[in-house]
Amino acid sequence: MNEFDRAGARSDSASPINRLIEAFHRLPGIGPKSAQRLAYHVLRAPEEEAKDLADALTEVKQSVVLCERCQNLTDTNPCRICLDTGRDRTMVCVVEEPLDVQAIERTGGYRGLYHVLHGVISPSDGVGPEELKIAELLTRIRDVDTDVSEVIVATNPNLEGEATSMYLGRLLQPLGLKVTRLARGLPAGADLEYADDVTLGRALEYRQQV
Amino acid sequence: MASRVPRVTKTAAIVLKHRRLGDADRIVTLLTPHRGKIDVVAKGLLRSRSKMAGHLEPLTLTEVVLAHGRSMDIVTQAQTVEPFAGLQRELELLSTAMYLLDLTDRFTVEHADALDVYELLEGSLRRLARGDGVQLVTRLFELGLLASTGFRPELEHCLETGEPVPADAAFWTHRGGGVVSEAGRASHPEAFALDGRVLRVLRAFQALPYEEAGRIRIDPELAGRLEQVMHEFMRVQAERELKSAEFVSESRRVSLSSAAGDPPATVADPSGTAD
Repeated sequence: MNEFDRAGARSDSASPINRLIEAFHRLPGIGPKSAQRLAYHVLRAPEEEAKDLADALTEVKQSVVLCERCQNLTDTNPCRICLDTGRDRTMVCVVEEPLDVQAIERTGGYRGLYHVLHGVISPSDGVGPEELKIAELLTRIRDVDTDVSEVIVATNPNLEGEATSMYLGRLLQPLGLKVTRLARGLPAGADLEYADDVTLGRALEYRQQV
Repeated sequence: MASRVPRVTKTAAIVLKHRRLGDADRIVTLLTPHRGKIDVVAKGLLRSRSKMAGHLEPLTLTEVVLAHGRSMDIVTQAQTVEPFAGLQRELELLSTAMYLLDLTDRFTVEHADALDVYELLEGSLRRLARGDGVQLVTRLFELGLLASTGFRPELEHCLETGEPVPADAAFWTHRGGGVVSEAGRASHPEAFALDGRVLRVLRAFQALPYEEAGRIRIDPELAGRLEQVMHEFMRVQAERELKSAEFVSESRRVSLSSAAGDPPATVADPSGTAD
């Protein structure tokens, strides 16, 4: 007896409800009970709502591609940010994942371009520079966005992020670009007593006049 | 009567790696002096206001308080003892440190006694951070790790005949685990002639204490050959690709190109657009 049978669903794995439960179960963070709850929610929902969900799933797979310039997820190619003539084309902010673009956009303090690496150098997980969109960044800076004068590396402030940032710094230096890294220091609401030595050290190193 | 497991334990640990668990938690792999390699759960580590996040980053020597859990212990406190900050300022040092962590993870098993490996790793990271030679520290770490985990290469005697092998007439087999003589080579068709200088250095590194090994002069060309042999040997013994070894070589290549002002070239070709 599998998890779905125990949960009370029919044992016929080809039945539509079981197929839906199993499909939800394959999603990250969804256990068998949650999958069952979601499936029954869809069953109980108005037909229009269920159809919207199905259409959204189909559409996202059919229309979302990687932008040929910045490698961000987009439904237009190049993406809207790359095509926006109001953006500062002298700056490229390099991030790990598409969600990081949204996080930086939310700040409202950056008007330059982006480049998404789709990961970070993490040799212990089998990810080296060649697995990331680094070659695309070089090609883009050399051949497409030739006005770029500064590359802001906005990888996470951890071991893998630091390694990626240093690697990009060495790689881009000979192109005569200014390569910067997001400042590291204390987060808002932090407590000095609990800050680790590296964070506190960097916060002191990059202190600002008040 | 069975001894009771203490509910809370305190230990020093070197953080080897971590992986995500749910939305905000992490499973952190620690190397400890007396409990070997263990996986522990650190809750809320991904939240920006986590008080432990910075103390549980890989490449940190930290003191942790662990609460006994059903399947895995849970970190309740963490305090950095040594952040090895010096290693995070140079790409070659950082990539080398990542390689040492990766090797340690690959060659140790959970909950097995690993005091030798712990001391070896801590000592090697301290030496790297204080500026000792990267090649020296790395090669001695590799040989020390192999010896501590039962993979010590045979450098003196033929693996087949047991006879001493002169350094200038030695053949090397990664799979066999050391040197073979001309006579023993028939049983190891994969064995290749090894540069006598490489073997002499490896023999000295295996036999001499650290300070004496550090007096051996190694030119860049010989260092490159040593690295090539040892990277491949570690890969074969680990029975898997070692991306960290490739990243060490790639980091050095990029750093040298950057210093020389050469135009950049990555190891991969641009693939264009969508996946």
